[in-house]
Amino acid sequence: MGRPTARVASGKALLPAILAISLLLPLLIAGTALAADLSLSSKTYGLAYEREMAGGQKNRYAPLYEYLSTDATNLGGKPLSFHFYGWGRVDLDTDSGSGSTSGEVGSLYMEYLHPQGNAQAKLGRFFLTEGAAMEMLDGAFVKATTPVGLGVSLYGGIPVEYSILNNTSGGDSLFGGRVFFVRPGFVEIGASYLKENGSFQEGKDRELVGGDLWLRVAPPVELTARATYNQSVSEMASQRYAVRIVPGATFDISAGYESYTYKGLFQPALNPAFVSPSVDTDDKVQTIFGIVDWAFVPGWTLEVAGKNIRHDKSDPGDANRGEVGVRYTYNDKKDVAGLSAAFVSADQAENEYQEYRGFASYSPSKLRLTLDALTQQYKQEINGKKNQYQVVATAGYQLLAALHLSGNLTYTQSPNFQEDLAGLIRVTYDFAMSTGGKK
Amino acid sequence: MMHRSHAVKILGAALLALMFGCSAVSQTPSVPPKHPENLPQGRVDCLECHENVSTGALKPYATFRHSRVFINSHGTYARQSQNLCTSCHAPAFCQTCHAGKEELKPNVKMGDRPDRMAPHRGDYLVTHQIDGRLDPGSCYRCHGNKSDSRCKQCHR
Repeated sequence: MGRPTARVASGKALLPAILAISLLLPLLIAGTALAADLSLSSKTYGLAYEREMAGGQKNRYAPLYEYLSTDATNLGGKPLSFHFYGWGRVDLDTDSGSGSTSGEVGSLYMEYLHPQGNAQAKLGRFFLTEGAAMEMLDGAFVKATTPVGLGVSLYGGIPVEYSILNNTSGGDSLFGGRVFFVRPGFVEIGASYLKENGSFQEGKDRELVGGDLWLRVAPPVELTARATYNQSVSEMASQRYAVRIVPGATFDISAGYESYTYKGLFQPALNPAFVSPSVDTDDKVQTIFGIVDWAFVPGWTLEVAGKNIRHDKSDPGDANRGEVGVRYTYNDKKDVAGLSAAFVSADQAENEYQEYRGFASYSPSKLRLTLDALTQQYKQEINGKKNQYQVVATAGYQLLAALHLSGNLTYTQSPNFQEDLAGLIRVTYDFAMSTGGKK
Repeated sequence: MMHRSHAVKILGAALLALMFGCSAVSQTPSVPPKHPENLPQGRVDCLECHENVSTGALKPYATFRHSRVFINSHGTYARQSQNLCTSCHAPAFCQTCHAGKEELKPNVKMGDRPDRMAPHRGDYLVTHQIDGRLDPGSCYRCHGNKSDSRCKQCHR
Protein backbone atom coordinates (compact mmCIF):
# COMPACT_ATOMS: atom_id res chain seq x y z
CA MET A 1 0.00 0.00 0.00
CA GLY A 2 1.40 3.38 -0.90
CA ARG A 3 2.08 5.70 1.95
CA PRO A 4 0.67 9.21 2.04
CA THR A 5 3.15 11.65 0.61
CA ALA A 6 1.59 14.97 1.48
CA ARG A 7 0.58 16.25 4.87
CA VAL A 8 0.54 19.88 3.85
CA ALA A 9 -2.82 21.50 4.15
CA SER A 10 -3.84 23.84 1.38
CA GLY A 11 -2.74 27.36 2.14
CA LYS A 12 -5.76 28.68 0.31
CA ALA A 13 -8.06 27.10 2.86
CA LEU A 14 -5.98 28.03 5.87
CA LEU A 15 -6.06 31.81 5.85
CA PRO A 16 -9.86 32.11 5.85
CA ALA A 17 -10.02 29.38 8.49
CA ILE A 18 -7.54 31.19 10.71
CA LEU A 19 -9.37 34.47 10.28
CA ALA A 20 -12.70 32.78 11.04
CA ILE A 21 -11.33 31.19 14.19
CA SER A 22 -9.85 34.49 15.30
CA LEU A 23 -13.22 36.18 15.02
CA LEU A 24 -15.51 33.44 16.22
CA LEU A 25 -13.65 31.61 18.97
CA PRO A 26 -13.55 34.42 21.53
CA LEU A 27 -17.22 35.09 20.95
CA LEU A 28 -18.13 31.43 21.28
CA ILE A 29 -16.13 30.90 24.43
CA ALA A 30 -17.02 34.17 26.05
CA GLY A 31 -20.64 33.75 25.07
CA THR A 32 -20.98 30.39 26.72
CA ALA A 33 -18.94 31.48 29.74
CA LEU A 34 -16.81 28.39 29.41
CA ALA A 35 -13.48 30.08 29.84
CA ALA A 36 -12.24 31.84 32.92
CA ASP A 37 -8.99 32.86 31.23
CA LEU A 38 -8.85 33.65 27.56
CA SER A 39 -6.11 35.21 25.50
CA LEU A 40 -6.05 35.93 21.82
CA SER A 41 -3.08 37.20 19.87
CA SER A 42 -3.24 38.29 16.25
CA LYS A 43 -0.16 39.46 14.41
CA THR A 44 -0.57 40.71 10.88
CA TYR A 45 2.54 41.36 8.79
CA GLY A 46 2.42 43.17 5.50
CA LEU A 47 5.77 43.03 3.71
CA ALA A 48 6.92 44.88 0.62
CA TYR A 49 10.32 44.42 -0.94
CA GLU A 50 12.10 44.62 -4.23
CA ARG A 51 15.10 42.52 -5.08
CA GLU A 52 17.64 42.98 -7.80
CA MET A 53 18.67 39.49 -8.76
CA ALA A 54 21.84 38.38 -10.50
CA GLY A 55 21.57 39.55 -14.10
CA GLY A 56 19.84 42.78 -13.18
CA GLN A 57 16.27 41.46 -13.01
CA LYS A 58 14.10 43.21 -10.42
CA ASN A 59 11.22 41.46 -8.69
CA ARG A 60 8.63 43.01 -6.38
CA TYR A 61 7.00 41.07 -3.57
CA ALA A 62 4.12 41.91 -1.24
CA PRO A 63 3.19 38.95 0.97
CA LEU A 64 0.57 39.40 3.67
CA TYR A 65 0.85 37.14 6.71
CA GLU A 66 -1.60 36.52 9.54
CA TYR A 67 -0.42 34.73 12.69
CA LEU A 68 -3.07 33.82 15.19
CA SER A 69 -2.87 32.17 18.58
CA THR A 70 -5.61 31.52 21.12
CA ASP A 71 -5.25 30.04 24.58
CA ALA A 72 -8.26 29.36 26.76
CA THR A 73 -7.46 27.95 30.21
CA ASN A 74 -9.51 26.99 33.24
CA LEU A 75 -12.34 25.92 30.95
CA GLY A 76 -15.53 25.53 32.91
CA GLY A 77 -13.58 26.06 36.11
CA LYS A 78 -11.65 22.83 35.50
CA PRO A 79 -7.92 22.35 34.75
CA LEU A 80 -8.70 22.06 31.07
CA SER A 81 -7.33 24.28 28.36
CA PHE A 82 -7.54 24.80 24.62
CA HIS A 83 -4.68 26.05 22.46
CA PHE A 84 -4.52 27.12 18.84
CA TYR A 85 -1.68 28.57 16.77
CA GLY A 86 -1.55 28.96 13.02
CA TRP A 87 -0.56 31.24 10.19
CA GLY A 88 -1.43 31.94 6.59
CA ARG A 89 0.07 33.89 3.70
CA VAL A 90 -1.42 35.56 0.63
CA ASP A 91 0.82 37.19 -1.98
CA LEU A 92 -0.36 40.50 -3.38
CA ASP A 93 2.42 40.63 -6.02
CA THR A 94 5.05 38.16 -7.28
CA ASP A 95 4.90 34.78 -5.53
CA SER A 96 7.23 34.96 -2.52
CA GLY A 97 7.18 31.22 -1.81
CA SER A 98 5.92 28.08 -3.45
CA GLY A 99 2.63 29.43 -4.82
CA SER A 100 0.74 32.57 -3.99
CA THR A 101 -0.68 31.22 -0.74
CA SER A 102 0.56 29.11 2.11
CA GLY A 103 -0.17 28.37 5.73
CA GLU A 104 -0.01 25.96 8.58
CA VAL A 105 -1.80 24.94 11.73
CA GLY A 106 1.01 24.64 14.28
CA SER A 107 -1.03 23.75 17.35
CA LEU A 108 -4.62 22.74 17.93
CA TYR A 109 -5.10 20.75 21.10
CA MET A 110 -6.91 20.26 24.37
CA GLU A 111 -4.89 19.83 27.53
CA TYR A 112 -5.66 18.55 31.01
CA LEU A 113 -3.29 19.64 33.78
CA HIS A 114 -3.81 17.75 37.01
CA PRO A 115 -3.33 20.04 40.04
CA GLN A 116 -0.77 17.64 41.51
CA GLY A 117 2.28 15.73 40.38
CA ASN A 118 2.57 17.57 37.06
CA ALA A 119 0.20 14.99 35.60
CA GLN A 120 -1.05 16.08 32.21
CA ALA A 121 -2.70 14.90 29.03
CA LYS A 122 -2.82 16.46 25.57
CA LEU A 123 -4.94 15.57 22.60
CA GLY A 124 -4.68 17.13 19.16
CA ARG A 125 -1.77 18.75 17.28
CA PHE A 126 1.05 19.93 19.53
CA PHE A 127 4.79 20.54 19.71
CA LEU A 128 6.35 17.96 22.01
CA THR A 129 9.73 17.98 23.74
CA GLU A 130 10.10 14.89 25.92
CA GLY A 131 13.31 12.92 26.25
CA ALA A 132 14.45 11.87 22.79
CA ALA A 133 11.42 13.51 21.17
CA MET A 134 11.23 16.96 19.67
CA GLU A 135 8.27 16.56 17.35
CA MET A 136 5.10 18.07 15.98
CA LEU A 137 2.48 15.42 16.46
CA ASP A 138 -1.19 14.79 15.69
CA GLY A 139 -1.93 12.53 18.61
CA ALA A 140 -2.01 12.12 22.37
CA PHE A 141 0.43 12.65 25.22
CA VAL A 142 0.10 11.68 28.89
CA LYS A 143 2.52 12.16 31.78
CA ALA A 144 2.43 11.61 35.54
CA THR A 145 4.78 11.37 38.51
CA THR A 146 4.19 9.01 41.43
CA PRO A 147 4.68 9.93 45.12
CA VAL A 148 8.10 8.20 45.20
CA GLY A 149 9.34 10.30 42.31
CA LEU A 150 9.06 7.71 39.56
CA GLY A 151 7.20 8.93 36.54
CA VAL A 152 6.17 7.95 33.07
CA SER A 153 5.16 9.72 29.91
CA LEU A 154 3.68 8.20 26.77
CA TYR A 155 2.75 9.60 23.40
CA GLY A 156 1.60 8.42 20.03
CA GLY A 157 0.07 9.63 16.80
CA ILE A 158 0.90 10.78 13.31
CA PRO A 159 4.01 12.97 12.86
CA VAL A 160 3.52 16.36 11.21
CA GLU A 161 6.38 16.50 8.74
CA TYR A 162 7.09 18.16 5.43
CA SER A 163 9.31 16.36 2.98
CA ILE A 164 11.12 18.05 0.12
CA LEU A 165 13.32 15.02 -0.48
CA ASN A 166 12.49 13.08 -3.61
CA ASN A 167 11.12 9.58 -3.02
CA THR A 168 11.03 10.01 0.75
CA SER A 169 7.95 11.11 2.62
CA GLY A 170 7.28 11.62 6.31
CA GLY A 171 6.60 8.85 8.77
CA ASP A 172 3.28 7.02 9.03
CA SER A 173 3.06 6.88 12.78
CA LEU A 174 5.13 7.78 15.80
CA PHE A 175 5.00 6.60 19.38
CA GLY A 176 7.26 6.54 22.39
CA GLY A 177 7.66 7.37 26.02
CA ARG A 178 9.95 8.18 28.87
CA VAL A 179 10.40 6.79 32.36
CA PHE A 180 12.09 9.02 34.86
CA PHE A 181 12.97 9.52 38.47
CA VAL A 182 12.94 12.93 40.09
CA ARG A 183 14.03 14.05 43.54
CA PRO A 184 13.09 17.71 44.03
CA GLY A 185 16.03 20.09 43.86
CA PHE A 186 18.57 17.31 43.46
CA VAL A 187 18.16 15.07 40.42
CA GLU A 188 16.02 14.15 37.45
CA ILE A 189 17.11 11.20 35.35
CA GLY A 190 15.21 9.73 32.44
CA ALA A 191 15.31 7.03 29.78
CA SER A 192 13.26 7.37 26.64
CA TYR A 193 12.27 5.51 23.51
CA LEU A 194 10.86 6.73 20.20
CA LYS A 195 9.77 4.79 17.14
CA GLU A 196 8.63 6.36 13.91
CA ASN A 197 7.40 4.04 11.22
CA GLY A 198 8.46 5.18 7.81
CA SER A 199 10.96 4.67 5.06
CA PHE A 200 13.84 7.00 5.82
CA GLN A 201 17.50 6.68 4.82
CA GLU A 202 18.44 3.09 3.95
CA GLY A 203 14.69 2.37 3.80
CA LYS A 204 14.48 2.08 7.58
CA ASP A 205 12.19 3.30 10.35
CA ARG A 206 13.45 5.80 12.92
CA GLU A 207 14.08 4.15 16.27
CA LEU A 208 15.76 6.13 19.06
CA VAL A 209 16.80 5.27 22.59
CA GLY A 210 17.65 8.25 24.76
CA GLY A 211 18.87 9.21 28.20
CA ASP A 212 18.78 12.52 30.05
CA LEU A 213 20.10 13.80 33.36
CA TRP A 214 19.88 16.93 35.48
CA LEU A 215 21.94 16.69 38.67
CA ARG A 216 22.59 19.42 41.22
CA VAL A 217 25.84 18.26 42.79
CA ALA A 218 26.06 21.33 45.06
CA PRO A 219 23.80 24.40 45.37
CA PRO A 220 25.51 26.45 42.64
CA VAL A 221 26.69 23.55 40.44
CA GLU A 222 24.57 21.43 38.13
CA LEU A 223 25.37 18.79 35.56
CA THR A 224 23.20 18.11 32.53
CA ALA A 225 23.47 15.31 30.02
CA ARG A 226 21.44 13.97 27.17
CA ALA A 227 22.28 11.29 24.63
CA THR A 228 20.37 9.60 21.83
CA TYR A 229 21.24 6.35 20.12
CA ASN A 230 19.77 5.62 16.70
CA GLN A 231 18.96 1.95 16.79
CA SER A 232 17.85 1.88 13.15
CA VAL A 233 21.39 2.48 11.91
CA SER A 234 23.21 1.28 15.07
CA GLU A 235 24.87 4.67 15.52
CA MET A 236 25.07 7.20 18.33
CA ALA A 237 22.95 10.10 17.07
CA SER A 238 23.86 12.91 19.48
CA GLN A 239 25.33 13.59 22.92
CA ARG A 240 25.55 16.70 25.06
CA TYR A 241 27.18 16.99 28.49
CA ALA A 242 27.55 20.27 30.38
CA VAL A 243 28.46 21.63 33.76
CA ARG A 244 26.83 24.89 34.81
CA ILE A 245 27.59 27.09 37.80
CA VAL A 246 24.97 29.62 38.90
CA PRO A 247 26.19 31.10 42.18
CA GLY A 248 23.62 33.89 42.25
CA ALA A 249 21.49 36.21 40.22
CA THR A 250 24.40 37.93 38.48
CA PHE A 251 26.74 35.22 37.23
CA ASP A 252 26.16 32.14 35.10
CA ILE A 253 28.87 30.02 33.49
CA SER A 254 28.69 26.77 31.56
CA ALA A 255 31.10 24.51 29.70
CA GLY A 256 30.61 21.22 27.98
CA TYR A 257 31.01 18.74 25.18
CA GLU A 258 28.64 17.97 22.34
CA SER A 259 28.88 15.51 19.46
CA TYR A 260 26.75 13.99 16.73
CA THR A 261 27.20 11.70 13.78
CA TYR A 262 25.69 12.56 10.43
CA LYS A 263 24.61 8.97 9.93
CA GLY A 264 22.85 8.74 13.29
CA LEU A 265 21.34 12.22 13.51
CA PHE A 266 20.39 12.80 9.87
CA GLN A 267 18.98 9.31 9.18
CA PRO A 268 15.33 10.49 9.21
CA ALA A 269 16.10 13.68 7.23
CA LEU A 270 13.47 14.82 4.74
CA ASN A 271 15.57 17.71 3.43
CA PRO A 272 18.17 16.96 0.74
CA ALA A 273 20.64 19.32 2.47
CA PHE A 274 21.26 16.61 5.09
CA VAL A 275 21.72 13.55 2.91
CA SER A 276 24.35 12.41 0.45
CA PRO A 277 25.68 13.89 -1.79
CA SER A 278 25.10 17.25 -0.02
CA VAL A 279 26.93 15.92 3.05
CA ASP A 280 29.37 13.11 3.71
CA THR A 281 27.30 10.87 5.96
CA ASP A 282 30.45 9.32 7.46
CA ASP A 283 31.36 12.61 9.14
CA LYS A 284 31.14 13.28 12.86
CA VAL A 285 31.16 16.60 14.72
CA GLN A 286 32.62 17.11 18.19
CA THR A 287 32.28 20.46 19.94
CA ILE A 288 33.74 21.84 23.15
CA PHE A 289 31.94 24.97 24.29
CA GLY A 290 31.94 27.55 27.04
CA ILE A 291 29.53 30.42 27.83
CA VAL A 292 29.65 33.20 30.44
CA ASP A 293 26.83 35.59 31.35
CA TRP A 294 27.91 38.15 33.94
CA ALA A 295 25.82 41.13 35.14
CA PHE A 296 28.91 42.99 36.35
CA VAL A 297 27.01 46.11 37.45
CA PRO A 298 23.24 46.64 37.62
CA GLY A 299 21.89 47.02 34.09
CA TRP A 300 25.10 45.90 32.36
CA THR A 301 25.70 42.31 31.22
CA LEU A 302 28.81 40.83 29.64
CA GLU A 303 28.37 37.78 27.44
CA VAL A 304 31.29 35.68 26.24
CA ALA A 305 30.95 32.46 24.27
CA GLY A 306 33.38 30.19 22.48
CA LYS A 307 33.42 26.81 20.86
CA ASN A 308 35.83 24.54 19.11
CA ILE A 309 34.23 22.48 16.33
CA ARG A 310 36.06 19.39 15.10
CA HIS A 311 35.09 17.24 12.13
CA ASP A 312 36.30 13.74 11.39
CA LYS A 313 36.56 14.76 7.75
CA SER A 314 39.07 17.31 6.47
CA ASP A 315 36.30 18.80 4.32
CA PRO A 316 34.82 20.93 5.87
CA GLY A 317 37.61 20.77 8.48
CA ASP A 318 37.76 22.24 11.96
CA ALA A 319 36.86 25.71 13.23
CA ASN A 320 36.77 27.97 16.27
CA ARG A 321 34.02 30.47 16.98
CA GLY A 322 34.36 33.22 19.56
CA GLU A 323 31.87 35.88 20.56
CA VAL A 324 31.88 38.75 23.03
CA GLY A 325 29.06 41.17 23.70
CA VAL A 326 27.79 43.68 26.20
CA ARG A 327 24.16 44.60 26.87
CA TYR A 328 22.76 47.58 28.73
CA THR A 329 19.19 47.46 30.03
CA TYR A 330 17.51 50.77 30.90
CA ASN A 331 14.21 52.65 31.05
CA ASP A 332 12.76 50.33 33.70
CA LYS A 333 13.91 47.29 31.66
CA LYS A 334 11.80 48.34 28.68
CA ASP A 335 14.84 49.08 26.55
CA VAL A 336 18.09 47.32 25.75
CA ALA A 337 21.20 48.37 23.84
CA GLY A 338 23.95 46.00 22.85
CA LEU A 339 27.23 45.62 21.03
CA SER A 340 28.75 42.31 19.95
CA ALA A 341 31.61 40.93 17.90
CA ALA A 342 32.07 37.37 16.68
CA PHE A 343 34.73 35.61 14.67
CA VAL A 344 35.07 32.22 13.04
CA SER A 345 38.57 30.94 12.28
CA ALA A 346 38.72 27.72 10.31
CA ASP A 347 40.96 25.24 8.54
CA GLN A 348 39.43 26.30 5.26
CA ALA A 349 39.38 29.95 4.25
CA GLU A 350 35.85 29.67 2.82
CA ASN A 351 34.56 29.08 6.36
CA GLU A 352 36.12 32.13 8.00
CA TYR A 353 34.23 35.34 8.78
CA GLN A 354 33.78 38.10 11.32
CA GLU A 355 30.53 39.66 12.48
CA TYR A 356 29.86 42.95 14.27
CA ARG A 357 26.46 44.06 15.53
CA GLY A 358 24.98 46.98 17.43
CA PHE A 359 21.38 47.63 18.45
CA ALA A 360 19.35 49.90 20.68
CA SER A 361 15.74 50.65 21.51
CA TYR A 362 14.05 53.78 22.86
CA SER A 363 10.55 53.56 24.32
CA PRO A 364 9.21 56.84 25.65
CA SER A 365 5.56 56.40 26.60
CA LYS A 366 3.58 54.76 23.78
CA LEU A 367 6.26 55.21 21.13
CA ARG A 368 8.96 52.63 20.48
CA LEU A 369 11.95 53.10 18.19
CA THR A 370 14.68 50.55 17.47
CA LEU A 371 17.82 50.42 15.36
CA ASP A 372 19.79 47.28 14.57
CA ALA A 373 22.94 47.22 12.40
CA LEU A 374 24.99 44.19 11.40
CA THR A 375 27.98 43.60 9.16
CA GLN A 376 29.85 40.45 8.20
CA GLN A 377 33.29 40.24 6.60
CA TYR A 378 34.21 37.02 4.78
CA LYS A 379 37.78 35.91 4.27
CA GLN A 380 36.95 34.50 0.85
CA GLU A 381 34.67 36.08 -1.70
CA ILE A 382 31.11 34.77 -1.99
CA ASN A 383 29.51 35.61 -5.33
CA GLY A 384 32.29 38.17 -5.85
CA LYS A 385 31.78 39.98 -2.52
CA LYS A 386 33.60 39.78 0.81
CA ASN A 387 31.05 41.50 3.04
CA GLN A 388 27.40 42.19 3.80
CA TYR A 389 25.63 45.04 5.61
CA GLN A 390 22.16 45.23 7.02
CA VAL A 391 20.38 48.00 8.92
CA VAL A 392 16.89 47.55 10.40
CA ALA A 393 15.02 50.58 11.73
CA THR A 394 11.61 50.23 13.35
CA ALA A 395 9.01 52.59 14.75
CA GLY A 396 5.92 51.54 16.67
CA TYR A 397 3.02 53.08 18.55
CA GLN A 398 0.63 51.61 21.12
CA LEU A 399 -2.68 52.78 19.66
CA LEU A 400 -4.86 51.05 22.26
CA ALA A 401 -4.12 48.89 25.27
CA ALA A 402 -4.45 45.80 23.09
CA LEU A 403 -3.47 47.25 19.72
CA HIS A 404 0.07 48.04 18.59
CA LEU A 405 1.14 49.28 15.18
CA SER A 406 4.75 49.22 14.02
CA GLY A 407 6.86 49.20 10.90
CA ASN A 408 10.31 48.03 9.84
CA LEU A 409 12.57 49.41 7.14
CA THR A 410 15.45 47.09 6.22
CA TYR A 411 18.36 47.88 3.91
CA THR A 412 20.71 45.07 2.89
CA GLN A 413 23.78 44.75 0.71
CA SER A 414 25.09 41.22 0.45
CA PRO A 415 26.68 38.69 -1.89
CA ASN A 416 23.14 37.62 -2.85
CA PHE A 417 21.62 41.04 -3.36
CA GLN A 418 23.15 44.09 -4.94
CA GLU A 419 20.62 46.09 -2.96
CA ASP A 420 17.61 44.93 -1.00
CA LEU A 421 15.16 47.43 0.46
CA ALA A 422 12.31 45.90 2.44
CA GLY A 423 9.40 47.39 4.32
CA LEU A 424 7.16 45.72 6.84
CA ILE A 425 3.99 46.83 8.60
CA ARG A 426 3.10 44.93 11.77
CA VAL A 427 -0.30 45.09 13.47
CA THR A 428 -0.43 43.29 16.79
CA TYR A 429 -3.63 42.71 18.70
CA ASP A 430 -3.33 41.09 22.13
CA PHE A 431 -6.59 40.49 23.93
CA ALA A 432 -6.75 38.85 27.35
CA MET A 433 -9.51 38.20 29.84
CA SER A 434 -7.32 36.68 32.50
CA THR A 435 -5.32 37.19 35.65
CA GLY A 436 -1.95 36.22 34.27
CA GLY A 437 0.20 36.97 31.28
CA LYS A 438 1.76 35.01 28.48
CA LYS A 439 4.86 36.41 26.89
CA MET B 1 -1.44 5.09 7.65
CA MET B 2 -1.15 4.06 11.26
CA HIS B 3 -0.79 0.33 11.86
CA ARG B 4 -3.48 -1.27 14.01
CA SER B 5 -0.92 -2.81 16.38
CA HIS B 6 0.48 0.61 17.10
CA ALA B 7 -2.95 2.02 17.75
CA VAL B 8 -3.53 -0.76 20.29
CA LYS B 9 -0.19 -0.01 21.94
CA ILE B 10 -1.02 3.68 22.16
CA LEU B 11 -4.46 2.98 23.58
CA GLY B 12 -3.00 0.60 26.15
CA ALA B 13 -0.38 3.12 27.07
CA ALA B 14 -2.99 5.83 27.47
CA LEU B 15 -5.05 3.60 29.76
CA LEU B 16 -1.97 2.80 31.82
CA ALA B 17 -1.20 6.48 32.11
CA LEU B 18 -4.79 7.21 33.10
CA MET B 19 -4.46 4.68 35.91
CA PHE B 20 -1.34 6.49 37.03
CA GLY B 21 -3.19 9.76 36.91
CA CYS B 22 -6.11 8.55 38.99
CA SER B 23 -4.44 6.48 41.65
CA ALA B 24 -0.78 7.18 42.10
CA VAL B 25 -0.01 10.79 41.32
CA SER B 26 2.49 12.65 43.46
CA GLN B 27 0.95 15.12 45.92
CA THR B 28 3.45 17.81 44.90
CA PRO B 29 1.59 20.80 43.45
CA SER B 30 1.85 21.01 39.67
CA VAL B 31 3.23 23.91 37.71
CA PRO B 32 0.31 26.32 37.31
CA PRO B 33 -1.14 26.35 33.80
CA LYS B 34 -0.57 30.09 33.66
CA HIS B 35 1.82 32.28 35.61
CA PRO B 36 -0.38 34.22 38.06
CA GLU B 37 1.32 37.57 37.46
CA ASN B 38 1.85 39.47 34.25
CA LEU B 39 5.49 39.15 33.25
CA PRO B 40 7.62 42.05 32.05
CA GLN B 41 9.15 42.19 28.59
CA GLY B 42 12.69 40.92 28.23
CA ARG B 43 14.79 38.26 29.91
CA VAL B 44 13.19 37.12 33.13
CA ASP B 45 14.90 36.15 36.35
CA CYS B 46 12.66 33.96 38.52
CA LEU B 47 14.86 34.81 41.53
CA GLU B 48 13.46 38.34 41.58
CA CYS B 49 10.31 36.90 43.19
CA HIS B 50 11.00 33.22 43.95
CA GLU B 51 13.40 31.37 46.23
CA ASN B 52 14.76 27.86 46.46
CA VAL B 53 13.13 25.03 44.52
CA SER B 54 10.05 25.24 42.35
CA THR B 55 7.37 22.97 43.79
CA GLY B 56 6.11 22.27 40.32
CA ALA B 57 9.24 21.99 38.21
CA LEU B 58 11.22 20.39 41.08
CA LYS B 59 14.35 22.34 40.12
CA PRO B 60 15.82 25.48 41.69
CA TYR B 61 14.48 28.74 40.31
CA ALA B 62 18.08 29.80 39.66
CA THR B 63 18.19 27.12 36.95
CA PHE B 64 15.58 28.99 34.95
CA ARG B 65 17.23 32.40 35.05
CA HIS B 66 16.99 33.39 31.37
CA SER B 67 20.67 34.15 30.91
CA ARG B 68 22.61 33.55 27.72
CA VAL B 69 23.67 30.20 29.24
CA PHE B 70 20.05 29.12 29.79
CA ILE B 71 18.93 30.28 26.35
CA ASN B 72 21.69 28.25 24.69
CA SER B 73 20.71 25.10 26.58
CA HIS B 74 16.95 25.59 26.95
CA GLY B 75 16.29 22.43 24.93
CA THR B 76 17.83 20.30 27.67
CA TYR B 77 15.37 21.67 30.23
CA ALA B 78 12.40 21.59 27.84
CA ARG B 79 12.94 17.87 27.23
CA GLN B 80 12.39 17.21 30.95
CA SER B 81 9.69 19.69 31.88
CA GLN B 82 7.99 21.36 28.95
CA ASN B 83 4.99 22.24 31.10
CA LEU B 84 7.13 24.69 33.06
CA CYS B 85 7.92 26.51 29.79
CA THR B 86 4.24 26.67 28.88
CA SER B 87 3.31 28.16 32.22
CA CYS B 88 4.79 31.46 31.02
CA HIS B 89 5.06 30.93 27.26
CA ALA B 90 2.09 30.12 25.03
CA PRO B 91 2.69 27.37 22.44
CA ALA B 92 3.04 30.11 19.85
CA PHE B 93 6.20 31.31 21.59
CA CYS B 94 8.06 28.02 20.98
CA GLN B 95 6.76 27.81 17.44
CA THR B 96 8.07 31.23 16.54
CA CYS B 97 11.27 29.26 15.83
CA HIS B 98 10.33 25.56 16.14
CA ALA B 99 7.83 25.58 13.31
CA GLY B 100 6.73 23.16 10.66
CA LYS B 101 7.17 25.12 7.45
CA GLU B 102 7.80 28.63 8.65
CA GLU B 103 8.54 31.23 5.97
CA LEU B 104 9.26 34.39 7.96
CA LYS B 105 12.53 34.39 9.82
CA PRO B 106 12.15 34.94 13.58
CA ASN B 107 14.19 38.14 13.44
CA VAL B 108 11.86 39.53 10.75
CA LYS B 109 8.77 38.79 12.83
CA MET B 110 10.49 40.28 15.88
CA GLY B 111 12.20 43.14 14.08
CA ASP B 112 11.12 45.53 16.83
CA ARG B 113 12.78 43.31 19.46
CA PRO B 114 16.51 43.44 18.62
CA ASP B 115 17.22 42.35 22.21
CA ARG B 116 15.81 38.89 21.50
CA MET B 117 18.21 36.10 20.48
CA ALA B 118 16.48 35.54 17.17
CA PRO B 119 18.49 33.37 14.77
CA HIS B 120 19.33 34.14 11.13
CA ARG B 121 19.98 37.88 11.27
CA GLY B 122 21.22 39.66 8.16
CA ASP B 123 21.04 37.96 4.78
CA TYR B 124 21.33 34.52 6.29
CA LEU B 125 21.12 32.86 2.88
CA VAL B 126 24.79 33.80 2.64
CA THR B 127 25.94 32.90 6.14
CA HIS B 128 24.07 29.60 6.27
CA GLN B 129 26.51 28.23 3.71
CA ILE B 130 29.30 28.56 6.28
CA ASP B 131 27.37 27.70 9.45
CA GLY B 132 25.78 24.77 7.64
CA ARG B 133 29.13 23.35 6.61
CA LEU B 134 30.64 23.71 10.07
CA ASP B 135 27.71 22.69 12.27
CA PRO B 136 24.84 21.22 10.24
CA GLY B 137 23.40 19.62 13.37
CA SER B 138 22.32 23.05 14.59
CA CYS B 139 20.41 23.55 11.31
CA TYR B 140 18.95 20.04 11.35
CA ARG B 141 16.97 20.52 14.55
CA CYS B 142 14.58 22.92 12.82
CA HIS B 143 15.10 22.24 9.11
CA GLY B 144 15.80 18.51 8.94
CA ASN B 145 12.30 17.24 8.44
CA LYS B 146 10.21 20.34 8.83
CA SER B 147 11.17 22.40 5.91
CA ASP B 148 10.37 25.26 3.61
CA SER B 149 10.14 24.30 -0.02
CA ARG B 150 12.43 27.25 -0.78
CA CYS B 151 15.30 25.07 0.50
CA LYS B 152 14.73 22.90 -2.54
CA GLN B 153 15.58 25.72 -4.92
CA CYS B 154 19.25 24.92 -4.21
CA HIS B 155 19.24 21.65 -2.24
CA ARG B 156 18.01 19.19 -4.84
